[in-house]
Amino acid sequence: MRLGPDAQRRIAVVLADVFGEPIDVARDIAVFLDGYLQRAPARAALGIRLGVWAVTWLPFALVGVPLPASALSPATRERYLARWAHSRNYILREAFYLLKAIALMGWGAQPSVRARLDVGPLAVTQPGPQA
Amino acid sequence: MTRTNDIDSADFVVVGSGAAGASAARVLAEAGRDVIVLEEGPEVRQEDRGLGAVESFLRLFRDRGTQVAMGRSVIPVLQARCVGGTTVVNGAIVWRLPEKAYERAFGAIGARDAIPLAALEERMDRIERDLSVGPAPERLLGGNGTLMKRGSESLGWAGHPIRRNVLDCQGSGRCMEACPTKRKQSMEVTYLPRAAKHGARILAEHEVRTIDMSAARAVGVTGVRGDGSPFRIAAKHGVVLAASAIQSPCILRRSGIGPREHVGQHFRLHPATAVAGVYRDPVRIWEGATQSFEVDHFRDEGFKMEVTGLPVELAGVRLPGMGQAFQRAMAEYPRMAVWGVQIRAEAEGSVSPANGRSDLRYTPTPADMEIFRRGARRLAEMHFAAGALRVYPGVHGGPDVIESPDDLGQLDELPLDPRCWSIISSHLFSTCRMGKDDRAGVVGFDGAVHGTRGLWVLDASALPTNLGVNPQHTIMAVATLLAERLV
Repeated sequence: MRLGPDAQRRIAVVLADVFGEPIDVARDIAVFLDGYLQRAPARAALGIRLGVWAVTWLPFALVGVPLPASALSPATRERYLARWAHSRNYILREAFYLLKAIALMGWGAQPSVRARLDVGPLAVTQPGPQA
Repeated sequence: MTRTNDIDSADFVVVGSGAAGASAARVLAEAGRDVIVLEEGPEVRQEDRGLGAVESFLRLFRDRGTQVAMGRSVIPVLQARCVGGTTVVNGAIVWRLPEKAYERAFGAIGARDAIPLAALEERMDRIERDLSVGPAPERLLGGNGTLMKRGSESLGWAGHPIRRNVLDCQGSGRCMEACPTKRKQSMEVTYLPRAAKHGARILAEHEVRTIDMSAARAVGVTGVRGDGSPFRIAAKHGVVLAASAIQSPCILRRSGIGPREHVGQHFRLHPATAVAGVYRDPVRIWEGATQSFEVDHFRDEGFKMEVTGLPVELAGVRLPGMGQAFQRAMAEYPRMAVWGVQIRAEAEGSVSPANGRSDLRYTPTPADMEIFRRGARRLAEMHFAAGALRVYPGVHGGPDVIESPDDLGQLDELPLDPRCWSIISSHLFSTCRMGKDDRAGVVGFDGAVHGTRGLWVLDASALPTNLGVNPQHTIMAVATLLAERLV
């Protein structure tokens, strides 16, 4: 399952707001999402892909604006994302947190983020005692 | 990887290479039996180790880390799928089975004579020697563990450095990504090589689908390799199922073996949740042993608290705020300590095979949620006792943040709906539980499946109930003891 270039572009705008990152970092996270979808089990990938679709295309349902989330004004998008995160509907809320969790793994893998937090490299490669 | 012929054979076929399978294989192979160990997952190569959470999930975990139990809420169930099983990706915690837990599990079903505590303790002594078990030294407590120590001491709660199966730990904080320095004494670096030294064949990427039976006797297994090709292996003496509390009942169900009212039922967990605290000084949670200190003061109340190694790429999921608020919260990650509470839940769920995967059903009971609420409150209290500036409970419908110990009372009102909580589990039990006959359980006190010959279940699925302590040690001791009786 893939996240096409348009879908990546749109979700990157949303992720930039979720994580407070510049758009170029958010684009890298969208690329990560695409890569993750290709490696995840089919059921999980379908769920995540549905989550990406829903977060992108449901502003009309949640804030009454018939535009994709990427085209909302920053203030409206903030209100829209808050509706997801604080929804009383468990399915909506968890869909948002699932997408956030997967995207966070891409965010946490960013060298710029890791350098900012001084947490060292994502991967450590050390020889074992028997090596 | 060794490749089997289409029909190979051994005295014993051991299904699963984790704590139970490796222990049984070691015993059987050292006794001179011809053993084949079948593992569904891949071998763990040096280049698979210490790659961060994402790659670890994708390479080493079942369903690539996406396995969940469905119920009133969705609960991630973390389980490895690789040679060495979950011992490869766990926190290296080794807990001797306490007498009270023994009584609850084995005493309550009348198994004191068949599985004496003294016999388990003898096996535990040996396992501890073999796996270099010892308490985490002060230098490995890290900021996370040091703060929990400080908090528990300040409150007078019983706590101690965690006893771990690690030899010369380097404190890389990567236990759950497969130890990058191979210091963790997990099965793929200990008992499996020892079994292999005595002739056991360890076959990765061999997924057993069914047990082959002839006149109620297990005579072999059938399955598929990682490349999709089928295999069949004959067992001259029998089959030892040690594929985990999820896979073992699924194999039995697919094979039509065992009492249906018990196989895959009674699914017990130690569900867990976490509470984060932010401190004035750096904590640097990623340094030191991944899990170094625990507080078992409240074990008789049904919960136990331990430090949790949460990498930055997972830490922000339940932190409140977006945009700049998220950035401010995550900027505190280096000063954040994360502690978990795991409960001995009374809920029972179920496991069944479904379209090539496993269908897990589980919902904590209201009483379980009450324990979670008490545990989260105690964790927050301990954070403040250790000097936390603020605490993030991470429960929907509760306060986003607690800024003062004076506000801890708010946590007594946390909702009890599991859908409001972020719950996870990795300790799984009892889906082929022991019982004196097939009205009480799936296997007898010797691990043999009731009504069959040559078929034993020796993993956590055979344990009569959840233990209330980390189970690896008990799983290994029970598997060792019962495997000794097969030789």
